[in-house]
Amino acid sequence: MEDGNKKMLAYQFKDNLIYKLHPLTSMIFVGVVFVLALIFSHPAFLLGLLIPVGVVLGAAGNLMQGRNYIKFSLIMVLTIVLINVLFSRAGTTIIYRGSEIPLIGALEISLEAILYGLGMGLRLLVIISVFCFYTYTVNPDKALRLCGRLGGKSVLAITLSLRLFPLMIKDFQRISEIQRCRGVKLSTGSLWQRAKNTLPIISIILLSSLERSLQLAESMQARGYGSGPRSSYDRDLWRPRDYIIIALSIIALLLGIWSALKGWSAYRYYPILEEISGLDCVLASFIAIILLLPAILNWGGKKWPL
Amino acid sequence: MLKLVDKFRSRYALVLIMLILLMVATLIPENPLYNLNWALLSTLLVFVAILVFFWSFERSQVSSKLVAFIATMSALAAVARIAFSAIVSLQPATFIIMICAYVFGPQIGFMVGAISALVSNFFLGQGPWTPWQMLCWGLCGVLASFLAIGQNEFRLGRFTVMAGFLGLFYGWVINLWHWAAFMYPLNIKTFLAVYASSVVFDVIHAIGNMVFSVLFGTTFYHVLKRFKKYI
Repeated sequence: MEDGNKKMLAYQFKDNLIYKLHPLTSMIFVGVVFVLALIFSHPAFLLGLLIPVGVVLGAAGNLMQGRNYIKFSLIMVLTIVLINVLFSRAGTTIIYRGSEIPLIGALEISLEAILYGLGMGLRLLVIISVFCFYTYTVNPDKALRLCGRLGGKSVLAITLSLRLFPLMIKDFQRISEIQRCRGVKLSTGSLWQRAKNTLPIISIILLSSLERSLQLAESMQARGYGSGPRSSYDRDLWRPRDYIIIALSIIALLLGIWSALKGWSAYRYYPILEEISGLDCVLASFIAIILLLPAILNWGGKKWPL
Repeated sequence: MLKLVDKFRSRYALVLIMLILLMVATLIPENPLYNLNWALLSTLLVFVAILVFFWSFERSQVSSKLVAFIATMSALAAVARIAFSAIVSLQPATFIIMICAYVFGPQIGFMVGAISALVSNFFLGQGPWTPWQMLCWGLCGVLASFLAIGQNEFRLGRFTVMAGFLGLFYGWVINLWHWAAFMYPLNIKTFLAVYASSVVFDVIHAIGNMVFSVLFGTTFYHVLKRFKKYI
């Protein structure tokens, strides 16, 4: 069961520093980038988030797996750009003026709308890549164990569900094989016929999993579940690098909030594009360098191993 | 103890109401909150909403059997979701969540919905969509449970109509975030455009739900109803 689960999860352990971080450190890093991406609208600042996340993802060895995420998000970026371009009337630099279209009105494509769409696409890209980082590098069991202290029952249900998942897939395969041996056709015949033959399998899985859930509850009871306050223990190691990364992530967050309050990280697309000042770029690259730290530490650890 | 629970509950309700008021305030021109960051606010709102449900589940007296049941049904819904993930919006998970909620009530329905979204995303990939999916499927559970009020047996007709509606509802709520976070200006035209761009997926989801209800509805209902006696 353990083995099957490990193979199916998106998380696959790799031997590098980023995978060995304390789960809370990675979660704080992800949280900081996510919040900053939602606060910032300045393209330089958003780029200053995308680059470090991309580099950290590459340092963790997940850039290839991240491709699927990127493919998916590019479709979303495209719809965002398209809708913004077609419907926004706020821009003043008109590139193309077209004919009347029902419902939309006169087609008017402005430079500002295109750039706004791209800017928002950049934001989406940052958010998706940071979640991609989370999915591939944070062990879900460790993350759930951390949350276990906050809530007992709901986290327990999530953990159990994560464990039952591969078991159910095995059940499905086993029952289908048995049905095949009995002459029930599951892979030939018309779609309707196949669906009709799969129907009993689904019901059997439901029945057997419910049966298992009763046994599970009995064994939980036998081990004293709910008989007293919940105990918890922490097996994950806190290393100095965890503290450094957390501290710098929080500094990046504060810097981001500060520049948002000052209005530096905001960018005015409409009615006419704002000029990008040197100060903005310096500040954005400063935040980017701070957030690059996990990748730098990983590189340093490889170059000068202990 | 009960008083304490009530106090906490009203506090959460207060937080929710304040967040909603804040969102409304951002819409009214000429006040300091005008045009505050909607993307951030809506995310915050969803987090609080999920927390409220989880928290009320933590507070309730739940037996180990029920915890195991929630885990089992969430895993089943997650398996069903991943089995069909090749066809983007055909999701039998919605049906499984609905039937659990129909038999076991809104709280269990919400938990099964939220947990199955979370767990299946550990295999499909977490994203900014995770909290929204958790909330959407949870709400599908809550809404489906209302159908069962005052009913002693399974009403396939009603259930199927509801399944179709919830298929559309799911897409509509997810679209709301897409619109609020990435579109400008936020007006009825861009709103309709976002909704029009997803209409095919929503309809596939709705039709799929209805087919699953017709195929499995009665069987699942009787199995779960019998199981409920053991709990």
